[in-house]
Formats: sequence, structure tokens, C-alpha cells
Amino acid sequence: MRGRTALIIGLTVLIVVLVQTTLFGRLQVVTPDLVMLVGILLALTRVRTEAVLAIAFLSGLIMDLLGASLIGLRAVVYTTIAYVAIRTKERAELGRVTIAIWAGLLTLLGVVLLLLLGTLFGQVALVGEGGVSVMVLVPLANTALAALLAPTFVRLVDRDRTALRYP
Amino acid sequence: MLNTKPSDRALPTFISLLVIGVLLMTFDVRLAGGGVVGVLRNGTQEIVSPLQRVAAFVVTPVANALDSLSNVASLREQNAALSAELAEAEAALVSVQDDLAKLALLEQIYDLEADGGELGQTVSNVIGSVDAALIIDKGVRDGVVAGQPVIDTNGYVVGIVKSASTGSATILPITATREGLTVLVGSQTGTLVSRPFSSELALEMDLDVFDAREPVLAGDRVLTSAASTDYPAGLPVGEVIEDASPESTSLSTTVRPFVDAESLRFVVVLSWPPDPVTAATDDTVPEDTTGTTLSEDATTTTSTTTPEDDG
Repeated sequence: MRGRTALIIGLTVLIVVLVQTTLFGRLQVVTPDLVMLVGILLALTRVRTEAVLAIAFLSGLIMDLLGASLIGLRAVVYTTIAYVAIRTKERAELGRVTIAIWAGLLTLLGVVLLLLLGTLFGQVALVGEGGVSVMVLVPLANTALAALLAPTFVRLVDRDRTALRYP
Repeated sequence: MLNTKPSDRALPTFISLLVIGVLLMTFDVRLAGGGVVGVLRNGTQEIVSPLQRVAAFVVTPVANALDSLSNVASLREQNAALSAELAEAEAALVSVQDDLAKLALLEQIYDLEADGGELGQTVSNVIGSVDAALIIDKGVRDGVVAGQPVIDTNGYVVGIVKSASTGSATILPITATREGLTVLVGSQTGTLVSRPFSSELALEMDLDVFDAREPVLAGDRVLTSAASTDYPAGLPVGEVIEDASPESTSLSTTVRPFVDAESLRFVVVLSWPPDPVTAATDDTVPEDTTGTTLSEDATTTTSTTTPEDDG
């Protein structure tokens, strides 16, 4: 990963963490998980897979450290989702809609995993607030955002204007 | 263009990170949020909180606008309900003013003075949230430290300060904590515990009274108990929403907290206990409290109601 790519990704993660904890932390209707979405969309770029996993882990760790849940909870979940994204990204290559659905399904898996791990570690009251609605709204919001932002994000990170262009 | 093949090191990296993550979780559980884990948390908040303040300054108008749009459908009903509440509150205020006048007269006759036992209060803006935890813009330099109780501007219990950095703190609401809260319903002491997967539409907690002598009725107010080590006694927490009678010597029922933490914009951090000696001898909320620190952005006035007068 070159310096400029690293800078772009670092800035993106920082902005996304700030937006997630301020704007989307206050809205009760629109509730995407932008940090998880960045981990998913990074799998579509040319960034090395180990780096994608490390970024997903670190961004999850930052969210853990800023919140009150167990440290490492989100880090583990985001890393797992990034790994699944890396292993399944070929299925998302078909077009903008498939990328959106793929990102939505991965987000759903992430939310379920978060609630499951949260239950195991006694954090369900903290991470599971509005459990059922979270399982619906967060994946839907991430699906919409992935449809809107995925091509732009990949082109920005890869600095390749031809990336993710479909007829 | 996409990478078609994950590198061979993806799986070992993934497993290594998972192990590190599980180790961190184990450390956090074992250290109960203190030690290295606490230092890590405070350090991160120290770095990120100034940026969060800037971000909150920018996004607050956007968040307010979007919130208003999402609530526009229920505005008429809210207006009617608020008008009714206002009429009741004004009637209550008149009676309180009469009582205050009598009190002032009696204090004058007997030459009484206030005991000076007010709790320090720090009014803070909620600048964000992660999961159910709230992030506020006041920290150690404003007198906010971990473990202090937090109420809203009406005096209702919100939660406790989970961690505090120099310029920010994280609040853990009562609805999101695993630990039970010792409360008082009528003359009975019980434990209030959060309910997993509760939502803002049906925010409910479970109340268990293990030494029940009499039934509890819907509408009964639930207050913090003097037996609680985290809160001063007498703070309103919520109200019982289902009648319940003792079965053998215990009863269980459902309580709706007065506060929906997600909708809070300002909170008040109480400097409690004021000091260990005072805490050991007198842990009731004083009747007249005043703010010690007021945020520049906080345009509302801190409520000075007592739990008994409230509602």
C-alpha cells in the first residue's frame, strides 16, 4: 500500500468514525454502519488483503475504544466481515446492484455476529438496543450507501477511473 | 479492476487478528475496564474527542433537521400532549409557589439557613453516541470522573459516567448496563435490570422485589434507593407499567424509564458522593441545587426540582 493510498484510507476511516459517532449516533431513523461498510468496500479495491483485514480490525478497535462495550468486540466482528468480503468479492463484480446487495448481506451478517458475541460476553443490553430494528435498518442503510458510494470509493482508493464501471 | 485472488497470508492474518481481538476482550473483562485497557480507552478518547467536538458542531444542525423531518408526522399529537403537560405543570407550579412562600416565612420565623449541601452539577452537551453509550463534551478538566451519576435536565436518572478523558466522557445509560440498579417502589426495595433487545419504541426494564410485602401498581414511581452505591437516593427512574402482586415473597414487573437516552441533547453530571464522610452520613438529594458549570452551547436552564416535587 503506497503512502498516498494509506493517507486516503486513513482519512476515510477517521471521517467515517467521526460521522458514525456524531451524526449517525444521534439519528434514530437513518442508521448505517459506515465503519463496517468501509471494511467491506475495501475488499473490492487493490489494497492487499492483509492490509484490509488490519484496517477493519483497527477501525473496529477505535469504535470499541470510543464506546462503552468490550474492547475487541467490534474489532473481531469487522475483521470477520472483511475476511468474508475478501473471500466472496467475485460474486459482487456483476454490477452496482449486486455490490449493494452483497454489502447489505455482509452487514446483516455483521450485525447478527455483533449481537451474538455481545450476548456471549454479556454486552447485549449495550450493543443490542433495538435489536430487531437494527437487524433490518442497518443492512438496508448500508445497501443504499453501497449502491451510491461503492464505485466512487473504489476509484478513489485505487486511483483508477475505470474501476467498477459497468455497461 | 478487482483482485481476483486473496493472498495466501489472508487466513493467517485473519486468525491472528481474531486471537488478538479475543485476548483484548478477555483483558477487558478481567480488568473490568481498568488498567491498560482503561489507559487505551482514555488515550483514544483524548485524541478523538476534539475532532468529535468539531464534527458535532458541523453535524448538529443536520441531525436536528433530519430528526425534525422524521418527527413531523407526530408533531400535532406531541403538541397536544405537551399543552396538556404544560397546563398540569403550571397548576403544580402554583401550588409549589404557595409551599415555597410558607417555607420562606417559616425559615424567617425560625431564623433557618440552607445547610449548603448542594451537589455540584456539570451540564454537558451530548455530542455523539456509540451503541447505546453517549459521548459528552465535558471531561476530567470540568470535574467529570468515572462513576459519577448522570441525570437529564428534568432530574430523571440517565446512567453513570463509564470513562472520562480530559475533554470528554462516555455515559452508560441504565438501560444498557448489565448491573442491576437498587430502587425504591413505595416502601419496598427492588432491583431494576435492563431488558435485552429493548427498543426506543418499547423501552422497558425488569423490576424484581425479593422481599415483597405488598403489590405494586401501574403508575407507581420508581426512585433510586439509599441502598444504591451509584446514585443518591430519591432520584426518579421510571414508573411501573404493570400491576404485580407478591408471589411467595417476591414480585416481578415491568418499568418504563422516564428517560430515552437516545433522544437526549443535554445531560447533567452530579458530583456525587460529595465526599466520603458526607456520603456515609447523608446520601439524599438536596432540595435546592444549582449548576456549577454551564456549557457555552447549553441554552436550557438546569432544572432545580427535587425528586419529591418532580411530577
